[in-house]
Amino acid sequence: MATVVPLAEAVAELVRDGDSVAMEGFTHLIPYAAGHEIIRQGRRDLTLIRMTPDLVYDQLIGMGCARRLVFSWGGNPGVGSLHRFRDAVQNRWPAPLEIEEHSHAGIANAYVAGASGLPFAVLRGYRGTDLPSRTANIRPITCPFTGEELTAVPAINPDVAIVHAQRADRSGNVQLWGITGVQKEAVLAARRSLVTVEEIVEELEPRPGAVVLPGWAITRVSAAPGGSHPSYSAGYSVRDNAFYQAWDEISRDRETFLAWMGDHVLDRSATASEAGR
Amino acid sequence: MDKTMSIEEVVASLESGMTIGIGGWGARRKPMALVRAIYRSPLEDLTVVSYGGADVGLLCAAGKVRRVVAPFVTLDSIPLEPHFRAARQAGAVEFTEYDEGMFMFGLLAAAHRLPFLPTRAGLGSDVMRVNPELRTVRSPYGEAGQDGEELVAVPALALDAALVHMDRADIRGNGQYLGPDPYLDDLFVKAAARSYVSCERLVGPGGLDGPPQSLLVSRMHVTGVVETPGGGHFTESSRDGGPGGGPGGGPGGRPGGGRDEAFQRHYAAAAADPQAWAAFAGRFLSGDEAAYQEAVRRWHEEREEGTR
Repeated sequence: MATVVPLAEAVAELVRDGDSVAMEGFTHLIPYAAGHEIIRQGRRDLTLIRMTPDLVYDQLIGMGCARRLVFSWGGNPGVGSLHRFRDAVQNRWPAPLEIEEHSHAGIANAYVAGASGLPFAVLRGYRGTDLPSRTANIRPITCPFTGEELTAVPAINPDVAIVHAQRADRSGNVQLWGITGVQKEAVLAARRSLVTVEEIVEELEPRPGAVVLPGWAITRVSAAPGGSHPSYSAGYSVRDNAFYQAWDEISRDRETFLAWMGDHVLDRSATASEAGR
Repeated sequence: MDKTMSIEEVVASLESGMTIGIGGWGARRKPMALVRAIYRSPLEDLTVVSYGGADVGLLCAAGKVRRVVAPFVTLDSIPLEPHFRAARQAGAVEFTEYDEGMFMFGLLAAAHRLPFLPTRAGLGSDVMRVNPELRTVRSPYGEAGQDGEELVAVPALALDAALVHMDRADIRGNGQYLGPDPYLDDLFVKAAARSYVSCERLVGPGGLDGPPQSLLVSRMHVTGVVETPGGGHFTESSRDGGPGGGPGGGPGGRPGGGRDEAFQRHYAAAAADPQAWAAFAGRFLSGDEAAYQEAVRRWHEEREEGTR
C-alpha cells in the first residue's frame, strides 16, 4: 500500500546502489525531480532502463550514477545528441557505460511481460535489423504451430520504477492523463515503485481517459510540483522547449555540465521546481 | 465514409466454411439479429469462435456449424445451452474447449497478427489433455545451465469475420457500449479480417456522446454497421431505447434492456423437445428480423393476457 513521504526520503529508501531503475514518461511526465534526487544522493552502478533516454538520463549518466543503459532510442528530442551519453560510451567518462539497445515495441512488450508475470514477450519486431547481433538477449523463438520464427525479449522487472503523474490522493492512488506512455506497465512490472505528483488532493475526480494506478500497486508517493520540468505535466505546465535547446550547449562540455549540475541540482537550496530554470 | 449495411447484406458477404467470431459473453450483448439471419441463410460448415450462448446454440440447431471454439456455451441463468448440449451429445459438432484466459490470449495473438502467445493459463489442467493439438513453448531465458520455463502456447484465433453487437454506433462504424462490461468485443474486431457491428441505435458522425471509455470499437476495424433495434434479444442488451429496449421499452416491458428471462425460458424449454422446437422455429425464426420482433411482442402480449 502506497504511503506519501517526502521525495528525499522515498529515494533514500527505494533506490539502492546497483539497482535496475526504470524512469518512464514519453515526452510528457518525465520524472526529473526524482532523477535529480538520485543524483544528489550519489547513487552508483545503476542499470537505467527507459524507452527514450533524454536529458534526465544524460544528467544521471554524466554524474556517474549509471553502469548500464537499457533503451530503445536515445537523444535530445528535436535537438540532437545527448553529449554526456555519447561521452560515456565513447570515452568512458565519467565511467564506462554498457548499453543494451532494443526497439520501442520490444521494451513495451518486455514491460507488459514483466507486469504479467511472464518470463518473456513474443513479437514480430527486430527481424531484418542488426539489433539481435548487438543485443545478446534478443532471441529467436519458433511458433510450435506454424514453425514461424519470431522474436523473444526477456521480461523487464525493474528493482524500482519511477514515474511522474498529475495527482494522487492521500491513500496513494494515482491519476495521470494526456500522453501516457508505458508508466502503468513499468510500475506494475517493478518490485518497488515511486510516483512523484504535481499535487496531493483529497479525492481523485473521475476523468475521461485517465489512467488510475491503485495505491496497492505503488510503494511510495511524493509530492514534487513542477517535478517534470523541462518536460511537462498536461494541465499543469507546458514543455520548456528553450531548455531542451539550451541543454545542447550546457552538456557539450564536461566542465560547463558539472558547473550547471552543481548550481542547479547538487545545491540543495535549488528546489526541484527551480532546477533547470 | 458511410458503412451502413442491411442485415441481409452482412450475411450475404459471409461464406460457408468461414471461421466467424461472435462477440458478447454467454447470454449478454450478442448480435442475435445477425445470428438469426445466418440461421435462415444457406451458410454451412462454419467454425464459430465465441464466449458462447444462444448464438452458438441457434447455429448448432440449424446445422450451420462444423466446429465450436469456446470456453463455455451458457445462457447464464440456464447453465448449459440446450441446443449446444444436444449437438455435442449427438456428436454433431466438433469442439475446441479453452480456458477463458487462454481464449483471450488466442484473440490477442490474432489481433497482434502473431501465430501464438505464451501464457500460464491452462498449465496443469485437463485443458491440455482434451486439446491434444495444443503445444507448449519453452522460455529462451533459462537460468544459467537450466532450461527455461515451459508455458502454454495458445494458437491465434484468427477470424475470417467478427460479428459484435453495440448499444450504439455511428454510420462510420465506431461502436459504443453503455453497459457495465466491454467483454472482449474490441479484441474480436481486431482479430478478424472483416468485422460487422450491429447496434441498437445508429447515429450520425459525432452522435456518440457519453464517456470516451465507452467508445469500444474503432471504425478502422469495421467493414459494415447495421442498425438492429432489439437485435440483441433475448440476450442482455438494448440500453439505447428504440423498440427493442431502453427504459421499460423492451419486449414485455423489460427495464433497461435486461435479459428477457421469460422468453429465454421459453426458448430453452422448446429446445429440449423436437416438436416444441419445430413450433418455436416456425413461429419466431421463419421470417425476417422484423417478423421476429413482432412475433416476440405478440408472445409477450398473449402471456400477459393469460396471466390477467
